Amino acid sequence: MPIRLMGSIHALAAVLVFSSVLHAQTPEQSGAAKALTQAPTVDLSGVWEANMPGMQWAEYSFAPDIPPMTPWGKQRYLAAKPSYGPRAVDHSTDYVNPTTGKDVGCLPPGVPRIYIQPFLFEIVQTPGRVVELFEFDHHMRQIFTDGRQHPKDPDLTWMGDSIGRYQGDTLVVDTIGLNDKTWIDRGGLPHSDQLHVIERIRRPSSDALEINITIDDPKAYAKTWSGNRNFKLRPTWNIKEFICADNADYNEEFINKSGAYSSPNPSKQHAKPAKPNK
Amino acid sequence: MKNKLLPLLGVAFGLLMGSGPLFAHHGKGAFDMENLTIVKGTVTKFEFINPHALIYVDVMGDKGNVEHWIAESSSNNHLSRGGYDKNSLKPGDQVMVTGHRAKNGAHGLELQCKECLVADSQNKVLLGYYF
Repeated sequence: MPIRLMGSIHALAAVLVFSSVLHAQTPEQSGAAKALTQAPTVDLSGVWEANMPGMQWAEYSFAPDIPPMTPWGKQRYLAAKPSYGPRAVDHSTDYVNPTTGKDVGCLPPGVPRIYIQPFLFEIVQTPGRVVELFEFDHHMRQIFTDGRQHPKDPDLTWMGDSIGRYQGDTLVVDTIGLNDKTWIDRGGLPHSDQLHVIERIRRPSSDALEINITIDDPKAYAKTWSGNRNFKLRPTWNIKEFICADNADYNEEFINKSGAYSSPNPSKQHAKPAKPNK
Repeated sequence: MKNKLLPLLGVAFGLLMGSGPLFAHHGKGAFDMENLTIVKGTVTKFEFINPHALIYVDVMGDKGNVEHWIAESSSNNHLSRGGYDKNSLKPGDQVMVTGHRAKNGAHGLELQCKECLVADSQNKVLLGYYF
C-alpha cells in the first residue's frame, strides 16, 4: 500500500532526524563527564536581589577602587563613555543603556556586569548544571557542573563558557570565551577577550548570597583583582518580564522629548532652590 | 504652580516609606541630584512600563501658561513589588510631584530617590519610590 509505505518512511525519517538532533545537543556529555557529575553540595537556589547598603560604588562596580590597568586597558577605559561611576557622562554610549537619544543599546551586559544590572536574578540547580535566570532582558547563564572542561578554542560569546564545581559550601565558577564588546561593570572598566572570571558563590545564611568575583585579564589589568557582590533572598518574588528592546517608547518620551538630556540653555537654567521657610 | 522650596513634606514621606538601594537604570548626571523640586498639577497620562514608569503632568506656569512636565520613576517591575500598579495614578488626578529636576531647566523630573514621590492634595502618597 503506497500510502502506508509513505507513512513508514516518514516515521523512519523522523526517528533518524530526532536521534541526530539528540546527539547534536549533547556532544560534550561524554561518559566520563557523566561519571563526574556532581550533585549540589550547597543549596543556592532562589530569587536574589542586590544588597549593598551604603556602598555608592556598588551602583556601578564590584570594588570601590579603580584597579591598575595596562596601557592597553587604560586606553580602552578612557575611550568608554559610561552613565555611571567616576567617568560618567550625560550622553552615554553605554552599549546596554545609552542616553544619546538615538541609540537603542540593549546589547547583553556580559559577565560579570550582568550582576550589576539593577534587577533580580534566580538560581536554579540541577545535578549537572546551574542555571542563572536574569530579570534584565531575560538573559541566562548555564554553568555546567558535570565535569566537562572548557572547549580548547571556544567561540567568543557575550556570556562566555562557564563550568563549575562544588567545594564544600561554595560553588566555584570558571568562565572564559567572552568577547571584548562588554565592560566589566557599569563604570566602563575594560576587558579583553583574554578575560577569565572566577566566581566563588556561597550562601552564608539562608537569606543571603555572596559572590566573590576575581578578574584575571593580563591584557587589560596589571594584576588580578577581585570584588564582592551580596544579595538577599526574596522568597515571595518571581522574575518578571523585562524586554530591553521595548525601551524605545521610554527613550523617545523621556530621553528625547522631555528635553532633560538636550544641551544646557543658560537662559533656562533654573535658580537653586531657596532655603526652606522656617 | 511650581514650588522650588525644599520639600520638607516629601522628605517626611520618604522617611516613612523606608529606604532602598540607590540603583537606577541609567545615569543621573543630567539631573540636579543635590536639590528636590516640587511641581503641582494634573496627571494627563501614566505609563507603567519598563525601564521606567512615566508620569505626565500639566502644570500651570507662573504666567498662566500650561507647562507639560514628564517625570520618570523606577521600573514597573520594582514599583509593583512596592505595591504600586498601573492604576496608582489616573488622568485627572491632582498631584504634587517631588523629584530631581533636569539641570538644563527642561520640564523633566527624575523620581528615583528615597524622598521622591507623587502625592495627592491631601499629601497621601500615590506613587512612592521603590527599587
